[in-house]
This record gives sequence, C-alpha cells and structure tokens, in this order.
Amino acid sequence: MNEFITALTEYTFLQNAIFACLLASIGCGVIGSYVVVKQISFLTGGIAHSVLAGMGMAYFFNASPIMGAIIAALVSSIMIGWINLRWKEHEDVLIAAFWSAGMAIGILFLSRTPGYNVDLMSYLFGNILLITRSDLSLMFLLDLVVLAFVFVYYKHFLVSVFDEEFARLRGINTEFFYILLLCLISITIVILIQLVGLIMVIALLTLPAAIANQYVTSLHKMFLLSAVICAVISVAGVAISFGPDLPTGSVIVLTACCAYFSSVIFKQFVSSK
Amino acid sequence: MTNVVIDIDDVSFNYGSVPVLENVSLKIHEDEFIGIIGPNASGKSTLLKLILGLLEPDKGTISKYNHDGKDIRNHIGYVPQHSTFSRDFPVTVGEVVMMGHIATSSKFFRYSKKEIDLAKQVMEKLEIDNIEKRQVGELSGGQLQRVLIARALVCQPEILILDEPTANVDMRIEEDIFSLLKNYSEHMTIIVVSHDIAFISGYVNRVACLNRTLVCHNTESISGKMIEELYDAPVKMIHHHH
Repeated sequence: MNEFITALTEYTFLQNAIFACLLASIGCGVIGSYVVVKQISFLTGGIAHSVLAGMGMAYFFNASPIMGAIIAALVSSIMIGWINLRWKEHEDVLIAAFWSAGMAIGILFLSRTPGYNVDLMSYLFGNILLITRSDLSLMFLLDLVVLAFVFVYYKHFLVSVFDEEFARLRGINTEFFYILLLCLISITIVILIQLVGLIMVIALLTLPAAIANQYVTSLHKMFLLSAVICAVISVAGVAISFGPDLPTGSVIVLTACCAYFSSVIFKQFVSSK
Repeated sequence: MTNVVIDIDDVSFNYGSVPVLENVSLKIHEDEFIGIIGPNASGKSTLLKLILGLLEPDKGTISKYNHDGKDIRNHIGYVPQHSTFSRDFPVTVGEVVMMGHIATSSKFFRYSKKEIDLAKQVMEKLEIDNIEKRQVGELSGGQLQRVLIARALVCQPEILILDEPTANVDMRIEEDIFSLLKNYSEHMTIIVVSHDIAFISGYVNRVACLNRTLVCHNTESISGKMIEELYDAPVKMIHHHH
C-alpha cells in the first residue's frame, strides 16, 4: 500500500488513473442508479457491446475509436429504444440481436484493418493506466452533459421511471424520456469503457448503484452514495492491482462484485436479527 | 339534472378477436359518485382505460366535457389498481405525492412553495403526513393506497377515477377509504371500479354493472336476481342500511 502511495506522488499515469476513477464515478453513480431502478441492466449490456461496431469502423477508417464508440453507442441506444417501444414483447431477443450484431460488425471491420493491434484489447478489457490528459478532458465533458440533462429533467425522469402510466396520463412524453435516458446511458458507457472495457462495463453500471439502493430512500441520495461507492471501488481496484501488476479493469470489477455480495450478506444478517 | 362530464356513447372494444365491451353507453354527471362493478374480466379496467384515453374505442365515442374550460386531461386524477413499481424503488411518500404536480411543474430539481404546501395539505387530509419520509416500499396496502389517492388529488382533478382501490386492503381500511372518498365526492366526480358489489353500494350514488354489456342501476334497486345475472352464479345478498 505504501508502495502505491509513493508511486502515486511520482507517476503522472497513476494520478491520471485516479482522476479517471473519480470522473467515471460521477456518471456511474447517477446513470447506474437509473439502470438499477429501471431494471435495464441487460439492455445496458447490449448497448455496451454494440459499441464495438463503432470502434471497429473507426479503426478501419482510421478515425478516433472513442468518437466511433460515442456515435455507435448513441445510434444503438436510439435504435434499441425505438424498436423496443413498438415491439415490447420481444425485448430480450432484440437486445441479444443488438449485442451480438454489434460485436460481429466490430470484429468484421477489425479483421479487415491492417495491423489490428493491442489498443483493441484495452477497449475490450480496459486499460486505465494508459489514460491521457485528453481522455480525462473528454470524460469530464461527457460527465457534464449527463449531469446537465439529469439536473434539468430530474422530476420528469423520476416520474417516468417510477410509474410510466401515470407519467403518460399527466402528459409527459415518456417515450422521449426513455430514449433520452438510453442516450445518457450510452454516454456513460463510453466514459466507463476507458476504465474497465466494454465487456465489463455492466458491472460498474449496476453493482455500486445496487449496493446504494439497499441503504437509501430517495433517488438523489442514491446518486450520491453510488458515486462514492464507485469511486472507492475503482480507486481500490487500481491500488490493489498496482503492486502485483494485475489487469486493473478485472480487479476493479472483482472488487465491485465482492462489495456487492458483502453488502447483500450484511443486509440479510441485519434484517434477520 | 347536473352537467354531463363524461359521455360514453355506444362504445365497443376488442382485444384482437375477443370482444371485451359491447355497445356500452353511460353518461356520468358532475359531482356524481358512481361505482362500476362486475366480475373479473368483465371489461371494467378496459372501460377505465378508454375513459382515460389510454385506449381508443373500436366503435362509438367517449366525450369528456369540462365546464370550467380548463384542459381536461389535467383534470382527471387516476388511482391505478396495480402499482407496477418494484418494492425497493428509492422514493419517499412525499416524493410520490409531489409527482401529482408533474404536468404543471417547472423543470429542474425543486418544486415551488405553493406546490409543496398543496401536497402537505392533501397529505394531512389523508393522514399520511406522518409517514412523509418513509420509502413507499415499506408501506402497508392501505397506506400505499392513500399515497396513490393523495398523488391523484394533488393534480387537483375534477374527476377522480379509481381502479379497485380496496383490492389489497382489509375491511376496516376499505371502510376508511370509502368514507374518505364520500367526503370528496361532494365537490368532485368520482368513478370507482370494484368487484365488491355489496360493499360499494353503501357509498355510491349509482352503480353501473358491467359484464361486456352495461346495465345501470341506482343503489336502491340492486336485487339478488340482478347479481345472479351479472355473475352468472347464485350470490348471497348482504343487506345494508343507507
């Protein structure tokens, strides 16, 4: 642990990694809470995986993979949302289709890209230690976008997520807010991909918020608590993985899982007393 | 006769090829307390959804009149039968009641003082002000029902529609809820759907019996024979005094 703290004062890449954890926690806390209360973690997983299509295309056309990721995430969330609203009974099949089609398209493009390289692995599994200043600025910007929308439409999101029929009867455009929420989720996915990669992103969008959900009575408190939990988990993951040189993304995800199960067991223990 | 507020004219509705409602006509008047009763799957909830505009009739029309000239959609309060939210949803009683303001409230985080005061008044009247900070998932069936009624009343409706408001509560609470509605019915049109014919007829002005088609009755004239026709089974008549 001491070794980690000494290294933290010396190496910029570690400082960047910690900043990345904190920035990611903001989006993770707020949007993760919506994912958990609306019970759309599978759908979120679908959007996350379909992001590979955009990254693959970006590689092929020699563009910025992260821009490819943003565009792919937005396009797939709007498409999934729109089809889902009109075809509700097959939601899980629809998600499975987007999930696998996104990965397939990504891999097709990557296979046609000369010199397909190690960067891909860091988008699939995350590599927080490679995060640069400009990555941090982008994460900050995306956080601001997410927070702005949630701040302006907090009440509308709350009503639509809590009781959609009531919201519709009160004249709220619930379809608009559903698709907007999916778009905010997709932006958050892009923020988190830098940390843990698109394959494991679902862990950070569900587990910290699910832990928070066990202790709060209001959604805005859930935002705060799950952001704090996400920050603690991801910083802890970086610290644990640093000494033995383990893959950071995996350690963060496993830390999150341990925290979640401990919390569930703790809650069971308390309520059975 | 007072003004007609809802005019259901010869309405039919099918789910696919299954007819749910056939040639239903019903006029509901201002400040009337009307009960719609019928067995399961008789089309009660469908009729409510048609009135609310969540469904469109296949045949016939439903006209809603608003004699104050305000936007009618904002003047129907609805208390649903099933609360679809999950029990661990992080939202307090106070926050759910405040949701009644959503159609007219500003954007952003806060509600205005006027909106908060109105919600407080309604919560006091419904005696749920002491549980304002509780999470809705912890409530009993009767408390939850009061919260949902409070949310509908915060919309300041002229017409209040309730779908089986006493389905998940015991007798005593059922009485509480109906006498509460009785008080509100003096200056509000109230439509209650129920399968509990014996109970409801002690409170409402008029009962509409629904089983795909509609027969209308005043509360005084409910007879054992009529119930038998409606439910297609012998029913024990419970007599109550008005």
